[in-house]
Amino acid sequence: MKKLFILFSVIASFALIGFSSAKACENKNDVPLTSLSAGFDAWKVVTSAMEECGNFTPTLDQDYKDKIVAALDSNPSQYALAGVSASTNVSVLDAGLTRPLDDLIAKHGGALQDNQKVTINGQVMAIAMMTNAQHLFYREDILNDLGIDVPTTYDEVIKAAKIIQNAGVVDYPLGGTFAAGWNLGEEFINMYLGYADTFFDENMPAVNNANGYETLKMLKKLTEYMDPEYLTSDSTYVQQQFQQGKIAMANLWASRAGAMDNAEESSVVGLVKFASAPTTIRGGKPASTLWWDGVVIAKNISDEEAEAAFKLAMVGLDPSNLGESPEAAPWISSAFDPAPSNIGAVMTAKGGAAPYPASAKMSTLHGVLGNTLPDYLTGAATAKATLEKIEADYITAATEKGLL
Amino acid sequence: MESKLFNLSLTLKVIVGISIMLWTFIALFPLLWVLIMSIKLPVDSFAANPLNVIIGPNTLKQVGGLSFINLMFLCLSIYIYFKFFKSRENYFLKINNLTNNKLISFLLLILIFIALFLALFLFLNTHIANFLNNFFEYVPFLKILSKPLIGFTTKHFIAVWAENEFYKQFLNTAFVTLGVVTISLTVGTLAGYALSRSNTMIAFWLLVAALVFRALPHSVLVTGYLELFIDYGLYGKKIAVIILLVAINQPFTIWMLRSFFMNIPQDLDDAAQIDGCNPFQAFWMIIMPLMWPGVITTGLFSFLLAYNDYLVCALLLDGQSQTMVPAIMQYFNMETTMTDLVESIAAAASITLPLFILVMFFQKQIVSGLTQGSVKG
Amino acid sequence: MNKKTFLIFTMPSFIMMVFFIAIPLFLVFFQSFHFKQDILEIVEREKCDPFGCKTEILKVPVLDEKGNRSKINIWVGWENYKNILKFEDLNSIIQNNGYSWSAIQSIDFYKALRFTLTFTFITLPFVLIFGLCLALCVNNLVNRLKGPVIFITLLPFIITPVIGSLSIKWLFIGDGIITSFLEYILEKDISVFAKAWSIELLVLFYKIWHTTPFAFVIFYAALQTVDKDRIEAAFVDGANRFQRLRYIVIPHIMPLIVFVTLIHLMDAYRVFDEIVGFSAEGFLNSLQWMTYDFLRLDDSGSRYIGRASATSMLTMIGIVIILIPVLRRVFKEQKEKRN
Repeated sequence: MKKLFILFSVIASFALIGFSSAKACENKNDVPLTSLSAGFDAWKVVTSAMEECGNFTPTLDQDYKDKIVAALDSNPSQYALAGVSASTNVSVLDAGLTRPLDDLIAKHGGALQDNQKVTINGQVMAIAMMTNAQHLFYREDILNDLGIDVPTTYDEVIKAAKIIQNAGVVDYPLGGTFAAGWNLGEEFINMYLGYADTFFDENMPAVNNANGYETLKMLKKLTEYMDPEYLTSDSTYVQQQFQQGKIAMANLWASRAGAMDNAEESSVVGLVKFASAPTTIRGGKPASTLWWDGVVIAKNISDEEAEAAFKLAMVGLDPSNLGESPEAAPWISSAFDPAPSNIGAVMTAKGGAAPYPASAKMSTLHGVLGNTLPDYLTGAATAKATLEKIEADYITAATEKGLL
Repeated sequence: MESKLFNLSLTLKVIVGISIMLWTFIALFPLLWVLIMSIKLPVDSFAANPLNVIIGPNTLKQVGGLSFINLMFLCLSIYIYFKFFKSRENYFLKINNLTNNKLISFLLLILIFIALFLALFLFLNTHIANFLNNFFEYVPFLKILSKPLIGFTTKHFIAVWAENEFYKQFLNTAFVTLGVVTISLTVGTLAGYALSRSNTMIAFWLLVAALVFRALPHSVLVTGYLELFIDYGLYGKKIAVIILLVAINQPFTIWMLRSFFMNIPQDLDDAAQIDGCNPFQAFWMIIMPLMWPGVITTGLFSFLLAYNDYLVCALLLDGQSQTMVPAIMQYFNMETTMTDLVESIAAAASITLPLFILVMFFQKQIVSGLTQGSVKG
Repeated sequence: MNKKTFLIFTMPSFIMMVFFIAIPLFLVFFQSFHFKQDILEIVEREKCDPFGCKTEILKVPVLDEKGNRSKINIWVGWENYKNILKFEDLNSIIQNNGYSWSAIQSIDFYKALRFTLTFTFITLPFVLIFGLCLALCVNNLVNRLKGPVIFITLLPFIITPVIGSLSIKWLFIGDGIITSFLEYILEKDISVFAKAWSIELLVLFYKIWHTTPFAFVIFYAALQTVDKDRIEAAFVDGANRFQRLRYIVIPHIMPLIVFVTLIHLMDAYRVFDEIVGFSAEGFLNSLQWMTYDFLRLDDSGSRYIGRASATSMLTMIGIVIILIPVLRRVFKEQKEKRN
């Protein structure tokens, strides 16, 4: 009997732990809701505020883009809310999986700024909450000690990396989000835009040219100063490399800037500073792309769920909530001052970096890049062969999809 | 003569001993290391020096750890539990004498096992051990017994199961596994019985087909059905996955059950039929009661297939219906700090624990299942 | 058992296998000759986001009144197979570089094929030898130790492949404990996950670690059935331990060696979980991984069912080749039984 009592009390206490984390929230949420989004800090800030209202289970998954179209396509949708980036928004939009938000904004969206409303042909389809861009992170103390100026072009980055490597003050001078797949594709896209403006000629891919060649060469040069396991190095890995004092410079996402000063995890608090993404050509535009991340609401859910989901999203995106963590991301909100860590994103935008050219064609090319580049970087394929393969693989994929 | 024949020379004894030790180390080390990492703070889990990982100095400083008393109680608990487990058949008979119902006795025995486990590990090791720890701190010579030796923290497991609600995925896995095992066994015993009793060409072709199907990569089958499932609204539904896994598992189940059935002499069937039973009654009332060991063994392998599956569940399940194994890869992708990474290690340890218990309880059945299949196959 | 009873008993199994194995196979075969596409239309779209407004002309899927996309199946003949096997590229590579294996592997299919075959056939001898040695060792253990050793031995086999791969990966990646240890001994930097060959070695090691228990259990059970009289007779005749092993024990367990080989070939050919567990997609490719990759949604939210089906059919060819000797023997036995 006593043993049974213990058994029950243990199970009960586990259940309580799950419930006890619900704190005070002004508008309690009655409808069970779920969301799918990426897992970096900004999303944690937004979803934890939403969780306080109860009945909400967020799924934070860095690989969310691998599932989002199928998840929202099922009927009923697997998730009521989804966190999208500029490119995943196009995927769900084209597939007709998200609902227009104009009515809901009229009813509950009074706190939203106009530049947060992402409209397609006049209809609001997504609410942007933050901008993001990859820009230069650097260890101010190391650069100062070695007398290096903050690099503004990639050639200066390489020169600085050489000096840092010879000085031997850190494990590796550079870090990079070069993980095979989406991250590596993004590195190519960012670098290429430093040399050229477009990836396509009408519907055909146009990267097999001098610009593509320069891009590949620059990427390879950078890897010579990185941890050799760069093909498994995603944003979290590079963030940890910085926090553990293993690297001196990297082109990292603005949404990771706040983590540099997180006393619990970082041993370099206050030492990491931010600047615009380097350019490839002196005086050219930064070799980076501007992104926005935001919230969409699935179409395949009931209208009551949609309204509850929107109200809950407004709680998460409320300026007072975001204002508590200004360093988590470059929030789009004029209600509070941007954190000092957002300076890198601001400078990159000011320097003229282009927004990510999101489209179905671009997403397909992005996927092809991510799969083809590892062989070039490991030396298994030449630059010429790689560029040809990129175009050939793109044509195959696009033909099968009907884009060509 | 015999003693000389089967005695090993000294060199051979040494070689055998070293090989066994080497192998047990290699077999156990990765799993043990995962367990050790999961009970330390991230700083210690990823330390470069192995001693730091085992002892966990930072964990000791910040959170505390297991003292000599704790360790002693732990060993005592494991010993008691193991002894109890060894004489489980005696206890089963004792309970059976009281209830006279085998099923209820079995369930009661399992309940007692769970209760004993909770009492030992959640009561003895926490409250009583803590009490003694606090008590000994005041006794001059015995103070060293209560000093924490090995860093220990359960916060990762609590984070995984309570905050991140891993129990939801555990329930999903339980549901899928239970469904697969029951349906598989139901359908498979019928077919295995018929195939063991029939020598016709149809039976032969069925077995050959089963052999070929068993060799198919699962991705081939999912390719065929993915779009259909999605179009008919079965994406994300556990039922779809259960049916698909049962179908994938069928060939193997049929082969294994058939070889178990072949061990039961056909005379019993004939005797039952003479007594007036129809084939189904003969099957259910005469043959099946003798087949329980075979059924349990085949059920085990069906369980393993469903529990360990990644491909089918990753492609067909999502969100609230996700099972544990794909969820851990997703968990792994959720990590944005070192703490998250340790939590995914704790999740991995959690997934492994039921399998560990399975091997402990069903070691004999697993071995007999593997050998049965080979002897007759 | 009469025919009617037989059919009733096997019907559920049979229906299940037909519906969920045979029919999908035909569907895959059928699908491998088609492209499955969304029906697309050209529209003009004005998009406004935090960075400004832009009007562009795009191809987007047609949505019906309910807002759902519709798909069409286009017959393309051998197009999918050509896209996978890339004969023209293969020819130009052979002309330029001769039969350079590393150049041929730039084509995904051959890279996957090469790794699958390496994984399958190189792990086989190790599994057999280690399994047999382990069985011989355990056979000579004190009885009390046998139970616990078998328990520990079964663990690598039972653990989920994905989790097992992860646990070995964590030991080696970055500053994993074993990598740090090797760096300490060899006093140089080692990055196991930077090169394809080191990851491949690790994956092969994992498979051997995982399958040796299976071989061990089978051989160990078989060793119990070795005829003790024959061994004694051989000993009297002056045969030493190894001769006894070679001429009596191994022929006795030969059918089981064949059995383990067959099961291992079938299972290793399906290598997939290991690539996932080791996160080795950037370096390694296997036939089943290729199919899975085509089935996953890509960045633009589409699947490549046509090429997935083609890869599946090509994978099947390998399975059939592996099974041919087995099936021939089975048919022979059945013929002998009937005569």
